[in-house]
Amino acid sequence: ESILSRIRSFEYSQKHAVLIPVAALGAGGVLLCWFKSGRRMKIIDMGDGWWGSGERTHKGKEDLSIRPFKIVTSDEEIEDLHQRLDRFRFTPHVEGAAFHYGFNSSYLQKVVAYWRNQFDWHKQVEVLNKYPHFHTTIEGINIHFIHVKPSHVPHGRAVRPLLLVHGWPGSFYEFYKIIPLLTEPAKHGLNEGDVVFEVICPSIPGYGFSEAPHKKGFDSIATARIFHKLMSRLGFREYYVQGGDWGSRITTNMAQMLPQCVKGLHVNLVFIARQGLGSLIRTMLGAYIPWLVGFTREDARRYYPFMQKNVYDILRESGYLHIQATKPDTAGCGLNDSPVGLAAYILEKFSTWTDKSFLHKDDGGLESKYSLDELLTNVMIYWVTASIVPSMRYYKENFSNDPDLSAHNRVGVYVPTGIAAFPQEIAHVPRVWAKDVYRNIITYTYMPRGGHFAAFEEPKLLAEDIMQFVQKVEQL
Amino acid sequence: CSSLAGIMLLEVFLVLGTLLVYFLFSKKKEETLPFKDGWWGRGQKPVTKEDSSIRPFKVETTEEELSDLFRRLDQARFTEPLESSCFHYGTNSVHLRKVVSYWKNQFNWKKQVEVLNKYPQFKTKIQGIDIHFVHVKPPHLPEGQAAKPLLMVHGWPGSFYEFYKIIPLLTDPASHGLGDEHIFEVICPSIPGYGFSEAPHKKDFNSVSAASVFYELMLRLGFNEFYTQGGDWGWLICTNLAQIAPNHVKGLHLNMVSVSKLGLTHLLSVLLGRYFPGLFGFQDEDVRRMFPFLKKGLYRILSESGYAHIQATKPDTVGCGLNDSPVGLAAYILEKFSSWTDMEFRNLEDGGLEKKFSLDDLLTNIMIYWVSGCIVSSMRFYKENMQKGIGTQKHEKLTVQVPTGIASFPNEILHTPQAWAKKKYTNIVSFHFMPRGGHFAAFEEPELLAKDILQFVDKVEKEQLWKKK
Repeated sequence: ESILSRIRSFEYSQKHAVLIPVAALGAGGVLLCWFKSGRRMKIIDMGDGWWGSGERTHKGKEDLSIRPFKIVTSDEEIEDLHQRLDRFRFTPHVEGAAFHYGFNSSYLQKVVAYWRNQFDWHKQVEVLNKYPHFHTTIEGINIHFIHVKPSHVPHGRAVRPLLLVHGWPGSFYEFYKIIPLLTEPAKHGLNEGDVVFEVICPSIPGYGFSEAPHKKGFDSIATARIFHKLMSRLGFREYYVQGGDWGSRITTNMAQMLPQCVKGLHVNLVFIARQGLGSLIRTMLGAYIPWLVGFTREDARRYYPFMQKNVYDILRESGYLHIQATKPDTAGCGLNDSPVGLAAYILEKFSTWTDKSFLHKDDGGLESKYSLDELLTNVMIYWVTASIVPSMRYYKENFSNDPDLSAHNRVGVYVPTGIAAFPQEIAHVPRVWAKDVYRNIITYTYMPRGGHFAAFEEPKLLAEDIMQFVQKVEQL
Repeated sequence: CSSLAGIMLLEVFLVLGTLLVYFLFSKKKEETLPFKDGWWGRGQKPVTKEDSSIRPFKVETTEEELSDLFRRLDQARFTEPLESSCFHYGTNSVHLRKVVSYWKNQFNWKKQVEVLNKYPQFKTKIQGIDIHFVHVKPPHLPEGQAAKPLLMVHGWPGSFYEFYKIIPLLTDPASHGLGDEHIFEVICPSIPGYGFSEAPHKKDFNSVSAASVFYELMLRLGFNEFYTQGGDWGWLICTNLAQIAPNHVKGLHLNMVSVSKLGLTHLLSVLLGRYFPGLFGFQDEDVRRMFPFLKKGLYRILSESGYAHIQATKPDTVGCGLNDSPVGLAAYILEKFSSWTDMEFRNLEDGGLEKKFSLDDLLTNIMIYWVSGCIVSSMRFYKENMQKGIGTQKHEKLTVQVPTGIASFPNEILHTPQAWAKKKYTNIVSFHFMPRGGHFAAFEEPELLAKDILQFVDKVEKEQLWKKK
């Protein structure tokens, strides 16, 4: 009885002694599970696809060979181009139009004259061929890429593989100035420690020398998967990825798809759909009390006035996006037939997206940042490959599947990320908002100058930022 | 206590009074829209008086024009469509090739030029630019009857040619079984920047400018009172004309109506109109045409307005290639004749193009854009009208008191119910749901449209409605 009473007396405190820790453990365990599941890295499903024409033949494995490729041109091609330039039908612009109605037709006449009489496509083809080009078949289509290795690697330095992805209306050619800064930094006065890269620049399927998909539905997820397969085929298991415009979205998807393969992700444009009441409130408050919502002074300077920069400017500049996302075959038809029309359409972007104030200039300020040779070489890539229509279809495929580009925001990006925020980029995304999706931002740099075509316009600035980012990642 | 109640009552009355005053005075004033004078010629306006002569005009073509066209058609570069894409990605290039082949081998532009010239055409200089117009008088008038002047205005990507099938029904109705109570003489101008009308050389030529120019044209032709009819841009220009000169416009007939001043009632009627149509003044046919709203309203606007977005912002860019590639121009224009005639045509491999139109008619319209080189200036009209935003301009806030007749076609891009239209058009005399037809009413269903115009004019004339304003 005394034992019983003892036990009984024990029971209360024992109960507590047992129950409380058990309850705590239980609750803690549940909490931990919930916490971890919220924190557990979600990934994008890789899926699979086949984009060749007709029915897929199942006999035999896909050809995995990597075939060297050289860009060629012919007299007929150039003669045909010249004839079309010669018979271009010009429309005078209204008085005082500058670039407010689109590409100024008086300036366009000067560009066409240069194109016809001074631009040397044979010479530019040799420039393009200075880096090794290859083709390989993935998911039924030919993928074009250039692969540049450093000519010599200083003793003790590791070579990092870096995938650079272009956008629209750009091409692999946008990277030609930055590649030497990344493969041989020392030679160009860049000395970011031990970082040296071998660079792979593919062409997005449907752009340039990559075959266009023959089936519907080819979006950035499919592109991300194909580029992973490309890197794997080249023997890389871990690599860095970098991109702007569509390249930013593709490399982000790559990091969300196979985070274990992506050592670091660097973007010069953040594609984020800001949704919800929360962002609206933060926007309104941020105009008056930026620090309260996590904006820096530079964020405020670039982001406001809100209506002007984020609504009016974007409405004014997104007509192309609207028509390409709905009727790409119509929009591109005439551009594949009229090289001048193609040039006007593409070069208008190189003007306005480099600096918004260029709208007020009669010549669109184009030659203040680029040479006509470079600009026309990029246009020629679209022309000789007749890829303008498939390049536009990419908009429809992406926006149809994901109208506000937010489907994968919840998945987030956990790979170490570096963001280079250029001042003249079309829209500014503050770090505090980028963090909603990019959960592991290692560097976020306010670049001193430059616009949308960062690699093309400010290769040194971009290269330096990529290097300092990779340096930091390597030390993690 | 009573004084407190007294104060409260006073406050309530004050608030109610203010609201009453507000509502009374915020009712849209019956203002007229001011006539918009301008000078659209090149350089400075000369001091000498403008030449106001009316010169006959004939469409012409040359061998060089044709051989240049053929060479471009021969060397056209097409892009293969995606498998099973029909017209969902825009004009299908497989079908486009067939059209181009017809264009080159069977379409006879010389013959079509003769067709165009069968109606008398003229040019006259107004506000510094040459205005082209067709002027067709009735072949015979019964004793004692006067022809009623009717101004018909086209839109984009149409032209004066859209009216060629309806003109005889209006100038000679008796020969077409339509009765001869009302016989018209028809004036179809080309909007400046379209077809054979000169394009403005200065910025800011919008629908009010076009309405002012056409008003001057009608006065110059000696018409003091006339009817107007239009769809697409013609809808807006004729509406503006009725707002500028309500005492001169006897009646306004529209085959398309768009409302740009949207408010809370519109939002509510979109959300609830399907369930409580009566509450919002919707008829059964309104509900059938407007709902489900996401599909028939919002998604349709988004998927079909890319062209308007880019033309309203960068017309010189988007038009550039189209003025250089006839195939590109054809693809761009034909796409509209497909989806704006029937949205379901997007699911067809040939876009249903020849279901309602002949290739000859479609190509003649395209040729007008090609030979006049007017595609870029035609697109600028979007920018001049929309660059300040939609719903912000003065004319959008004013109402229309002129007797109005509306023919509502079922396959029009967006349906506007009478309940919404009457907020702007305060004097709707007739509103009919047409049994079939789309956006290009005069081109596709000339007889249906002519009958509706005739019954409308009949009402206006019989009840002398224009005098009651």
